[in-house]
Amino acid sequence: MAGSTAKTVHDIFVNMEYGPAATSSAATAQAWLDHHSRSLGLFIDGKFVRPADRQSRSLVDSKGGNLCSTVCAVEDDISQCASSAVNGFKAWSSLTCYQRAKVLLRLVSVLGQHAQCLSELCDLCEASCSSSTLVRLLQFYSGWAQLRDTLITNWTPLGVVAVVVSDDCSLYSLMLKVLPALAMGNSVIVVPGRSTSPPALLLGQLFMSAGFPAGAFNVVTGCDMTLGAKVAKNASISYVTYSGNKQDGVTLCKATAGMGVPVSVSPCIGATCPFIIFESADIDSAVDGVIDTAFKKKKEVHWLLCVQENVLDSVVARLRLRMAGMKCVALPSDGDRALVEAAVQEAQQQGATLVQSCAAPPSGTQYPPTVLCGAAPSSSCVVNPSAGPLLPLLTFRSNTEAVALGNHSPHGQAASIWTEDLTLALETAKNLSVGSVWVNSHSVCDPCLPVSGHKDSGTCTDGGQEGLYQFLRPSSSSSPPLPRSSPVSMDYTKFGTAASPAIIPDDSDSASAPKPYLQFVGGKACKAVSGCSVAVQSSGASSVLAYCPDGGRKDVRNAVEAAIKVQPGWMKKSPSARAQSLYSLAKGLEAKKRDLAASINVQTGISLEDADREVELSIARLSDLAAYCDKIQGGTLPMLQSGSALSIPEALGVVGVVLPDKNPLLSMVTLLGAAIAGGNAVIMVPSQKHPLPTLAFVQVLQFSDLPAGLVNIVTGSRDQLTMALATHSVIKAIWYWGSSEGCQYLQYTCTSPLKTLRLFCQKDNMGKDWTHPSLLEEMWRNAVQWKSVWIPTA
Amino acid sequence: MSARNPGTKLDLEKIFKVRVNTQAVLKRAQQIQGQKIPKKQWQAAWLLRAVTCIDLTTLAGDDTPSNVHRLCLKAIQPVRYDLLKKMDMHDKGVTTAAVCVYPSRVADAVKSIKAANSSLPVASVATGFPAGQTPLETRLQEVRMAVADGATEIDIVINRMLALTGQWEAMYDEIRQFREACGDAHMKTILAIGELGTLTNVYKASLVAMMAGSDFIKTSTGKESVNATYPVAIVMVRAIRDYFLCTGHKVGFKPAGGIRTAQESLVWLTLIKEELGNDWLCPRMFRLGASSLLADIERQIYHHVTGQYAAYHELPMA
Repeated sequence: MAGSTAKTVHDIFVNMEYGPAATSSAATAQAWLDHHSRSLGLFIDGKFVRPADRQSRSLVDSKGGNLCSTVCAVEDDISQCASSAVNGFKAWSSLTCYQRAKVLLRLVSVLGQHAQCLSELCDLCEASCSSSTLVRLLQFYSGWAQLRDTLITNWTPLGVVAVVVSDDCSLYSLMLKVLPALAMGNSVIVVPGRSTSPPALLLGQLFMSAGFPAGAFNVVTGCDMTLGAKVAKNASISYVTYSGNKQDGVTLCKATAGMGVPVSVSPCIGATCPFIIFESADIDSAVDGVIDTAFKKKKEVHWLLCVQENVLDSVVARLRLRMAGMKCVALPSDGDRALVEAAVQEAQQQGATLVQSCAAPPSGTQYPPTVLCGAAPSSSCVVNPSAGPLLPLLTFRSNTEAVALGNHSPHGQAASIWTEDLTLALETAKNLSVGSVWVNSHSVCDPCLPVSGHKDSGTCTDGGQEGLYQFLRPSSSSSPPLPRSSPVSMDYTKFGTAASPAIIPDDSDSASAPKPYLQFVGGKACKAVSGCSVAVQSSGASSVLAYCPDGGRKDVRNAVEAAIKVQPGWMKKSPSARAQSLYSLAKGLEAKKRDLAASINVQTGISLEDADREVELSIARLSDLAAYCDKIQGGTLPMLQSGSALSIPEALGVVGVVLPDKNPLLSMVTLLGAAIAGGNAVIMVPSQKHPLPTLAFVQVLQFSDLPAGLVNIVTGSRDQLTMALATHSVIKAIWYWGSSEGCQYLQYTCTSPLKTLRLFCQKDNMGKDWTHPSLLEEMWRNAVQWKSVWIPTA
Repeated sequence: MSARNPGTKLDLEKIFKVRVNTQAVLKRAQQIQGQKIPKKQWQAAWLLRAVTCIDLTTLAGDDTPSNVHRLCLKAIQPVRYDLLKKMDMHDKGVTTAAVCVYPSRVADAVKSIKAANSSLPVASVATGFPAGQTPLETRLQEVRMAVADGATEIDIVINRMLALTGQWEAMYDEIRQFREACGDAHMKTILAIGELGTLTNVYKASLVAMMAGSDFIKTSTGKESVNATYPVAIVMVRAIRDYFLCTGHKVGFKPAGGIRTAQESLVWLTLIKEELGNDWLCPRMFRLGASSLLADIERQIYHHVTGQYAAYHELPMA
């Protein structure tokens, strides 16, 4: 303080400098930590548990001072926690919707009493999250808890949900998973990261005083990210959902592959997001936005500033003025300085010019906010941005080029676009493949906005009504899709490389020689690229019924090529035009119903009568999905601020489907119909056991008015084709019915880029009841991803 | 005093390109209002700076030589000498920036100030203040007479009719003529933002006023229903920044009307510092049009120095 009191009034009067930043008190939070002797236990069954003989992890605050230590949970703790969570689920889910909503609302007032403690603790741990945003989350989700059975009929909670977050994840992102899970009636085990551990543990206490049953909300802490997988391994966990950086998400996916538990990932940290300034923008406000968000010490996303060429000078001039007074930003760690400098140097060598608030200090972990004007799209500050206050700036010529620039990234998290032109804003919002679009604003988070990362930015939707479904399953499905299992040791590089078994048919009787079928790629019936065929055996494996092409990698490649060419056009068609195409497909099926019934009969051995019934159901199913085309819709969302918030369903893109053995025609048309009703293109791999009905359906497809390439059917070895689908980056989602090894393989492999997986391990005659109408909603929800658009107004 | 803004040709293309996103401006205003205000000696210093930027104003029908005289004396010694002395600021020339009166009172004010041996500028409103709804010829004449009486700063009001109907050329020509009539006197152009409808219009009017050679642009007369608000100010200072980037000329800014508390004056200084930088934090580039503000600032300074809250009668009245 000696330095500050030395400043005389006259000095300040002349320099007009700001005073020293007020030092925030953290007395309440420190008192809470002291109360727990600075050593926090696990929060299990409604109380703190501090088992003896555990390793501990010590946490430090931003200045390096000791904050507290947390327990590193081991196997015993996890199983204790899981059994408490099972009981918690029983108690919590047996309450009425009203009772659950009331408990959530009571938490609002409990939070009000301890807001100071929580926000101080968040500040100390750098997990900053204001209690008002938590209150907003609670109020939003208590509403959904109240109306679950009224508005979301035929869905039930999953059971015990594990929410895993990385060390750098915010408390908001964590609660955006926890609260909807609870609101839908699940119990939750939280595996927080380093920064969210103390606040999550405090929240555990607050949850209890709000009246949650013991075990509904549990927190287990660990030494590192491996704890997530250890928790997932417990057989009582129904679902694992992750939020945080991509890296740790991938590790979790790989570590949990084959456990028989679905895992979804929201890599909300570290994505690159375009910040697009059009010439029609209020440039001053746009620059304010840049200053606001781009140079934070702890930034969740990396912005890429895209500026229309003819306003570049005025944007840069304003940036220069606004940045002039900015102070250096602390880098997260010592090693980052070298990385930042290397990135700046590389950009400069490639011709970028710098706009800096001040010269960089010669050394240390401080760096000035820096804009890299004219950075090369290939430079590492664009492709692989490091920590630190760097902002690459690229220019574009036209509106279409802005979209192309914004989309040219593996990420699809969010975008901020600045223009006063409404048409341009909406067109750009539509064409950017990102989950959130903020018009004339940035980084707006609200639980009513669905957040669903496109491309490599996520495999599930959080927030909004849409985000509730990850915590629900249709009431009609009695068993979980994936039976719990232990991962088998497998060589992932060898999966699907085994040669197809050669079956030499006994063709002594040439009159009944097996018929050769063709697959369907790019709108044409064709042979496999390899030219080989495989034999299709009858149900008893006693004879060869037919030959189908032995497709492989190249057939899948050709199919994807054809599919991606027509899919955007198909999505752009009006929903009613898509509906008409689906209706005519149903009609085409009706015309060929005898052939199809015969093929089912021959293939599966069920009676002709039953086969007829399956065809009839299939026709009805296609008509149902045709009708759905213009019923799949988003809506306007109830934001707190004034403006328009929209949620828009969009196609995933190209979907790979490995079809089930059961009800081969009905399941195929259901999945096909759902996918294309949502605007997707599909690559279908018929069941290896029962491919004939699907192949017979090719004749219906050939005479349909669907664009050539929208629906592709590739036959052959299931494992080989699964591998081909898994290793094609264009495919955004895979729906898989097959072996548990296949499920494990896909979970392990489909992480880069992330694919949305719907996995079903089929055993004997178990599995989905394809005749049940309630699966329609589940199917179309699987076939779309959501985009939220926020247009604030005064 | 460096070079005045000579003005430029009217650039209509630039005027038509103006875009302002209201909600973003409102958000920025909230952000500035939410900033921590300076404390302790920082607060005292900032408040004194605010004092030096005040155009101490009386614009009432019942103004007479006697209250104008008192106003002038207060302007010369705005904060009690003993208080300034305690902060070692008594010899740093802390006066308000100017006094501001109606044209008919200019002569009185000039006389009072001269009598007190001060060179404090006298500013006068003119051009049919506050409505501007009088013929151009009489408005020009008003300016000339105020200057002749010794006013060195003239606060003119724009013709809102021209702005609202988009007759930017006509408005430009009028202001040009006022500027000519001002001669060496500095011209502050009042945009009467409460009557301009939209923020986009505020931005456009600001640009036209600067192109026509205004030395300052000023928010309002204090007589409209809406006066100096932060969002409007943000738009105007952005226009000033814009004009500076294009021409290199620095134009001053004067919010007026409704600014009554010391707290508000600190927010104004923060706004200027954030948007335009320290260069604008001086009486040459920034003025606060106010009458009762000074009393509140003096009380805050009293509190800073003595640790006690003053009653109004403990401080000399204006």
